[in-house]
Amino acid sequence: MKKREIALTVKDLRITYKGLKKFSVKKALLSFRTSKAETFEALRGVSFELQKGKILGIIGKNGSGKSTMLRAIAGIFSPDKGTIDLHGNNVSLLSIGVGFQPKLTGHENIYLSGMLLGFSEAEIKAKYKEIVEFSELKDFIHKPVKTYSSGMYSKLAFSVTAILKTDIMLIDEVLSVGDAKFKEKSYNKMKELISDKHRTVVIVSHNIDTLDELCNEILWLDEGKIKMYGPSKKVLKAYKEFMAN
Amino acid sequence: MKKFIDNVKKYYSYAIYSAKSELKSEVAGSYLNWLWWILDPLAFMMIYTFIVTIVFRSNEQYFPVFVLIGLTTWNFFNSMITSSVKIVNNNRNIVSKIYLPKYILIISKSFVLLFKMSISFALIILMMIVMQIPFSWTIFQFLPILIVLYVITFGISSILLHFGIFVEDLANLMNIVLKLMFYLSGIFYSIGTRLPVPYNSYFLNFNPAALVIDSFRKILINGSNPDYLWLFIWLIIGLLLTMIGINIIHKHENSYAKVI
Repeated sequence: MKKREIALTVKDLRITYKGLKKFSVKKALLSFRTSKAETFEALRGVSFELQKGKILGIIGKNGSGKSTMLRAIAGIFSPDKGTIDLHGNNVSLLSIGVGFQPKLTGHENIYLSGMLLGFSEAEIKAKYKEIVEFSELKDFIHKPVKTYSSGMYSKLAFSVTAILKTDIMLIDEVLSVGDAKFKEKSYNKMKELISDKHRTVVIVSHNIDTLDELCNEILWLDEGKIKMYGPSKKVLKAYKEFMAN
Repeated sequence: MKKFIDNVKKYYSYAIYSAKSELKSEVAGSYLNWLWWILDPLAFMMIYTFIVTIVFRSNEQYFPVFVLIGLTTWNFFNSMITSSVKIVNNNRNIVSKIYLPKYILIISKSFVLLFKMSISFALIILMMIVMQIPFSWTIFQFLPILIVLYVITFGISSILLHFGIFVEDLANLMNIVLKLMFYLSGIFYSIGTRLPVPYNSYFLNFNPAALVIDSFRKILINGSNPDYLWLFIWLIIGLLLTMIGINIIHKHENSYAKVI
C-alpha cells in the first residue's frame, strides 16, 4: 500500500445559487417584468487535497460555505465549476434519520435508512444486531417510530449512521445525542469511527476544542474562499486570534 | 441510458422496500386496514354505476366491470402524474441529505400503485365471474397493454418531476388538465359508440389513457383484439418521453436540492 494515498481532491470548486428562482404560471400571467435572477456565490474557487486516513476540520463563520462544501462532496449539489474527485471511495454525509417513516417500526426504519445509504439488505442484516444493541432501544425496536421519545429517535438514527460506515465520512457538526450517558457513548463512538486509519473524515464544526481534539488538518473558509489550510494547531490559533478581534 | 439502468439496479431494492413501507404505513392505524384497498374501488364502481345507469340511463352492457376497468386504469395514470409533480418536494428530507437518483422516487411510487392496481384487477376478474361475462383467450394480451400504460405514464411523470420543482403552481395546472382528460378518456362511457364517427377514433387514438382503457375492455369484455398499431405508436412515444425525462433529470438533478 502506498503511503500517501489521496482520498479526496477538490479543484477550483465554485458553487453559485443563481437563476434557480421558482417560476409560477400565476406570476407569469400577472407580472410583465421578468424577475431578475439573484446570484449568490457560496464557494468561489476552493481547492485542496486530502490524504487517506486524515481527518479534516472545516471552520469558518456562518455563511462561509462550509455546509455547501460538504453537500457538494456528498454529491447532493453539483459544482458549477471545478471538480471533486473521490478516487473511487464511497461517501456519506452523516445526518440523522434519513428517510425515516414515523409510522413504521424501528426495525423497518433501520432497513429503509440503510438501503438509502446504499447498503444491501444482506449487509444491513449482518449489522442489524449491532445497531439495535448500540441504540439501547431493546423491545422498542418493534414499535412504530412515532411512539418514540425524541431522545430514542435520535439514538436510533445515530446508531444507524454510525454502524453502517463508508470510506469517506462527512460530518456536519459533531453529533452527540440523547441523555448524558448516551452522549458520552456516542461521542466516543464518533471518535472511534474517526480515528480508524482507513477512514477519511471531514468535519464541519464551530467548536474549536472538538476540532482541536479530533482533527489533523483544518481548512478555514471565509466568504467562500480558503483563508488558511494547514495543520490544525496552527490554523486554529490564527482563527482564535481572528475571532477575538 | 446506461447510467439509468445502473442506477435502477443499484437502488432497485430500496425502491421495493420503500414501496412496501409506504403501503404498510398507509394501513397502519386505520380502522379497516388493507380492506380499504378493496373497498375503495368497489365503492367508486357502485357510485358510477348508480349515476350512469340510473340517472343517465345508459345501457352499456356489463357496466360495473366496464367502469371498474376505466377507473382502475385511470387511477394508476392519474396518481402517478399527480404525485410526480410534488414528489421531490415531498421527499425533501431525503433529497437534501443524500444523493438519490430522483426517478427512483417515481419508480417506488409506481410499485405502490401497481400493487393497488393488481387488487383492482383481481376485483375485475371476480366481478366478471359474478356477472357471467364469458372469458376469452384475448385476456392473455393483458401484459403488453399494461407495459404500454406503464411506459407512457413513467415518461410523462419523469418530465413532470423536473418541471414540478421549478414551476410552483404546476400542480394546480395539472389538476385541471387531468380533470379534462378524465372526462375525455371515456371512463364511464364508450368513446367508440357515444361520439360521432370520424371524431371518435381521434379521441381514442390520440389520448393514451383512452386507448389503454379501451384496449383493456376489448380483451376482457368483448373478447376482441386491441389496436396494436396505436398501442405500438404510444409505446414508442412513451419510450421517447422516458428518455427525454431521464436525460433532463440526470442533467439537472443536482441542482434540485438548491431550490426546494
